[in-house]
Amino acid sequence: MRRKVMVLLLIVLALFSLTGLAAEKKLTVISGWSGQEMDAFMPVLREFEKETGIRVDYQIYRAEDLAVLLPAQFDSKTAPADVIFMWAWFVNKQAQSGHVLEMTGLLNESDFVPGILDAVKSGGKLWGGPYTGKIKPGFWYRKSFFKQHGLAVPTTWDEFVDLCARIKKIPGVRAPIASGNGVGWPLSDVAEHFIATFGGPAMTHDLIAGKMSWTDAQVRAIFESRLVPLLKAGYFSEPIEWTMAADLWWAGDYALYFMGSWITGMVKDPTDLGVFTLPGARGLVFATDYAFVPAYTKYPAEARKLLAFLATRGQTLQVAAGGHIATYTGAPLDAYPPVDREIAALLKGVEALPDLDDTIGGEWQPAFWDQLKLLWVSPARVGEVLETLQRKAGK
Amino acid sequence: MHTLRGRALFFVPALALLAVFVVYPVVNTVWLSFFTSEGKFALLGNYAEVLSQPEMFDSRGFARGFPYGALVHNVMWIVIHLPLTAGLGLALAVILREIRGGAIVKSIIFLGMVTPMVVGGVILRFLFDGNVGILPSLLSLVGLPRRTLTAYPDTALFSLIIGSLWLWTPFSMILYSAGLETIPDYVYEAAVIDGASAIRAFFAITVPMLRPVTGVVITMTFLWVLKIFDIVYVATMGGPGGASNVLALQMYMYAFREFNANSAAVVATLLMLVALAVSIPTFRSVRGEQQ
Repeated sequence: MRRKVMVLLLIVLALFSLTGLAAEKKLTVISGWSGQEMDAFMPVLREFEKETGIRVDYQIYRAEDLAVLLPAQFDSKTAPADVIFMWAWFVNKQAQSGHVLEMTGLLNESDFVPGILDAVKSGGKLWGGPYTGKIKPGFWYRKSFFKQHGLAVPTTWDEFVDLCARIKKIPGVRAPIASGNGVGWPLSDVAEHFIATFGGPAMTHDLIAGKMSWTDAQVRAIFESRLVPLLKAGYFSEPIEWTMAADLWWAGDYALYFMGSWITGMVKDPTDLGVFTLPGARGLVFATDYAFVPAYTKYPAEARKLLAFLATRGQTLQVAAGGHIATYTGAPLDAYPPVDREIAALLKGVEALPDLDDTIGGEWQPAFWDQLKLLWVSPARVGEVLETLQRKAGK
Repeated sequence: MHTLRGRALFFVPALALLAVFVVYPVVNTVWLSFFTSEGKFALLGNYAEVLSQPEMFDSRGFARGFPYGALVHNVMWIVIHLPLTAGLGLALAVILREIRGGAIVKSIIFLGMVTPMVVGGVILRFLFDGNVGILPSLLSLVGLPRRTLTAYPDTALFSLIIGSLWLWTPFSMILYSAGLETIPDYVYEAAVIDGASAIRAFFAITVPMLRPVTGVVITMTFLWVLKIFDIVYVATMGGPGGASNVLALQMYMYAFREFNANSAAVVATLLMLVALAVSIPTFRSVRGEQQ
């Protein structure tokens, strides 16, 4: 009798575990968003759950950490998540090794900003999906600060230099422009803006493609005659951890801060924000977040469904939270908060450019960040910095 | 014989684990270092290639200043950090042994040792920050410019070396404290009767009798400094411009940024050889003295 009860119990347990497994179809999404950014992203995932009944877990990993973690996991035919947000160059590199699920046919290319899918295409196949992007429009300032000190937005390079000189004389201001640091990407955004402004969009494309050398006379001229004089004059602060720099800038220690459009979600009063590009800018960096599905996902169909949702309807939900600009053209303008509508308008008349260091990636990316940190505190070493960048680019 | 075989069986699990998790990775790493990323045998070609990179050794540094390359930076870590750690640890152990409440002070100092190195790196970053750091504030009081010490090539490496002292000095302090307890009191009493001063007793009794401990402190500190990574990664990422780059970070860059396992294996092998060259003679000499 006891034996029969035990057998029955085991059968019931086995059935329960099997039904449990069948019901537990749960996807995991990884991205680097934490804090406020994560809070803005979670409603998108919850909406997907509501629509499909598929549960989604969210985990935070920085792209820098994923670059270390993923290759080892992929080599052992496993993946930490079903949908992963990562650099486009990394997605393509892993796709070449067969670690990424093909997404060709999943998205209608005409539904997106032209060229936006190119970054995750290789060999004529699509390997990932675009999410929203962030514009890196230029120098942010507080309207109240400019009004208080009688400052005006510059319309020429000379006016920009003159503005910096005037700000430097304001008592209590440590330097006209706050320089964000951390891993190093905020400085690269500044350098990319100078390249896009004075070298034009073509120079950005040529540097990415390796058609132009970093020691080319035209590139050298931008650094030596535009950026370095500002650094030597002390118009840029030394590199400061970027969130701390944002606080100091908002508090009036610095007057200008070069940052991406996500800053609108980081300040207390977005209506006090103003932004201007370097006069004459012909291109603006539009950095898109990309996601991909690893080949080792347990639920490829569900993961594809989630990726398609994120790339389309998910974007509409995301932009409503602020700080993001949709790459999906189906996202209506009235979905944006007013401040983001203004940012989206900045793209009119200028070319949307890929993020230079994110696109080149690899060993070159941290070298770019690191060399710019050197340039910021030792501008006289500009020649050495450019030579190092070219040496790394040639590898 | 039967008993011996039976006993040997107990070693098998441990040996199997060592073979899988220590011997195989070591042998495979050395093996990888002799091959190119295309899988061609290169003998010492990889070593020549890696060692000729400015990231490893940059002779221009001797005319221009930092960076000098990871190899030279590691040597600097050893030359500066090792004697300071050993000296400070010994001094603290001797001083705190004599004073009331020394055990409490030692416990407080020991907090540095139990702090994870990554956390230590973050603390160092803020400690040297020009806006919120204590050290730049103190330096500005004596008229020096208030700047982020880890942001400049001429001060980044030294800041990390000096800053990391509080993370590792507790280790040598604890070892020396334990060593001091093994010196019998009557040796000092005899020295006092013979008219020796405290300083004379320190150099004639304490230092020689702590030689085995010093050997362990030097070896362990050397190995710690040789593989230093986390502090540098978090605080400066080897920058600016490679001015605080070290061998372990360069190995990481090869492995996880270039995805070049062969170059990373070269650095790993070099690190292992240096570690063996230092630790084996030290442990031999300590064992010889004990015998």
